Amino acid sequence: MRIDSKTVWILRKEIKSVLRSRWLLLGFIISPLFAWTFQGMFLGFIVEQAVEPETVYITLEDEGGWGQILNSSIATQVALENANLTEKVLLIEQLVPVERSVGQSLWDNRTASVWLWIPSNFTEILETTNHSTIQIAVNTGNFRASAAAARLAEFSRIIINEIQIVRNLWIAWEVPTTAEASYGHQLAIFLVMLTSVLAPGPYVSKSFAGERDKHTLEALLVVPMSRLKILGAKLVAGLLLSSIYSAFTVVGIVLYNWLIITRATSTVPQEAAAYIDLYSINLNTVPLIVFVQFLVLLCAIGIGVVISCLAKDQATAESMNNIILLVPTMIIGILGFTGSILQYGGIFGLIVLAIPFSHAIIFLNGVLSGTATPIGLLGNVAYLLGFTIVFMIIGAKLFEREAIIA
Amino acid sequence: MDDIVIRTENLSKIFEKGKKKEVTALDHVNLEIGRGEVFGLIGPNGAGKTTLIRVLVGLLTPTEGQAWVLGKNVVEDIDYIRPRVALLPQEAGIYERLTARENIVYYGGLYGIPEDELHRRADRLLDIVGLREKEDYQVKGFSGGMKRKVLVARALVIEPEVLFLDEPTTGIDTIGARVVRNLLKKLSSEEKRTIVLTTHDLNEVSELCHRVGILNEGRLVATGKPSELEEKYKAANLEEVFTGLVTGEGVFEG
Repeated sequence: MRIDSKTVWILRKEIKSVLRSRWLLLGFIISPLFAWTFQGMFLGFIVEQAVEPETVYITLEDEGGWGQILNSSIATQVALENANLTEKVLLIEQLVPVERSVGQSLWDNRTASVWLWIPSNFTEILETTNHSTIQIAVNTGNFRASAAAARLAEFSRIIINEIQIVRNLWIAWEVPTTAEASYGHQLAIFLVMLTSVLAPGPYVSKSFAGERDKHTLEALLVVPMSRLKILGAKLVAGLLLSSIYSAFTVVGIVLYNWLIITRATSTVPQEAAAYIDLYSINLNTVPLIVFVQFLVLLCAIGIGVVISCLAKDQATAESMNNIILLVPTMIIGILGFTGSILQYGGIFGLIVLAIPFSHAIIFLNGVLSGTATPIGLLGNVAYLLGFTIVFMIIGAKLFEREAIIA
Repeated sequence: MDDIVIRTENLSKIFEKGKKKEVTALDHVNLEIGRGEVFGLIGPNGAGKTTLIRVLVGLLTPTEGQAWVLGKNVVEDIDYIRPRVALLPQEAGIYERLTARENIVYYGGLYGIPEDELHRRADRLLDIVGLREKEDYQVKGFSGGMKRKVLVARALVIEPEVLFLDEPTTGIDTIGARVVRNLLKKLSSEEKRTIVLTTHDLNEVSELCHRVGILNEGRLVATGKPSELEEKYKAANLEEVFTGLVTGEGVFEG
């Protein structure tokens, strides 16, 4: 459809109206900023809480001198700290000595968040080669555990290097692995989904219903413009406002990252870089996130047009919007955030897959976790676009009806 | 009438309410309105006045019969008619977040009128309706009457050949209503614009309209000059004619 001067005229009016409405502004500008900044502050706060004491399990198999020194140094430091007799460096709530098999079992059943293992050949290798390895198993999903493990690693290095500066202690980290995208990216998927249907979709769905409610639709429909062009102008306005929304989503993501990284780097040592990776969002993936958001917005607008043409007034449009857009999005968003959306089978799995927004999550998750196939990705995009086009055609048909002014 | 601008022939409109129920909003209406005429459509609520106007501006399609505006069929040639007619609907809303001037200019812009020209026309119309000092205020703070004045100005900004006004002076104060009436008289007499208006104010009809049409239950039960109708039905005034024809009491054809 050609964008002519009359379409531009409607666009100008729509944007002017939105810019003069503080509530719509809140929806379009403040909501993505708030959602991301709030998450950044929340996670930053949690990161800061990482300085809280944590229980650490320790297994000493080394009967040589260095293993004993390291073990006793840690135990002494913990005892002194807990008696408030020295500066708090390790912040270990309780140091629990365990056999290796017990430690392994505690780690496997996820009872232990931090487990330090000093192997039997630790001293022997250290004395022969001047470097040796201890293993720290840490649950990186636990903020306090990550921070405690990092402090433990740093303290151990100091103990070993105090004796002879050329000596080096290596840490073999063991962390749980996941096929999902990182926490930060899963958060991105959830927020992109949720915030995308929170403002632009309802804006469009209330657009015509609002005109009908305020009795401006009748005069609008007698102007020398086809109804399809009027509908198109409203859609373009929705897309234009959505691009403002996307821009502020990018600003929000940058702010989120800044908050996470600032807090994390000030409290967690260098060894916990993986910890930052887990919660922050790789800015190189922002164009991909914006692309998926665009698809979601487009789909929400398509559904919004149908709602707008069916609803008799603005209140009905809002209710329909909540049922048709918000509820499925919440469910899908949470499923996407907490685990793979593809893990559900049966009828529920089919329902989940039938919802177009699921494909946005599958697309983003597949790309960010590196598990996607080109055909799968094309299928996701085709489904979302197909759904959007079908809804826009239905909306256009509904808008042509006489009943639109009734 | 030498120059017919609006003509209907057996015009009917039936709305389907559910699968079985039908409502006849217009029942074989035959009407002719000439250029420069101010024609008053009167009738009780639900008589079909708004439906008739909606058919004439192409918002509704006739179920039966035909209608022409400016010599063109309202179904087949609506693209010719639309740029030449303006509508002020009964419950015409206004864009509350736009100023008075912006509302007027926005509507004109949808007719493809250049912006400079629109502002010149808006200046004149705002002066006429007495809102020049408030032109840059968002209309959300305006009274009902002030909003109605903006809407009248908005309908006039496109300088239409035919103007459909559904209760144009409702809610406007006495002085404002006088201003609007004088403006309509001037548009009719000096600029030969055709005006179709509906109103419940029969004094306004007597003062303003060259002819009236009385609609009742979708049927056009009488048309003519107010004085002709009074004479025909031997009534003291238009109100007696109207009441008699609608209720069937006290009026007999002479």
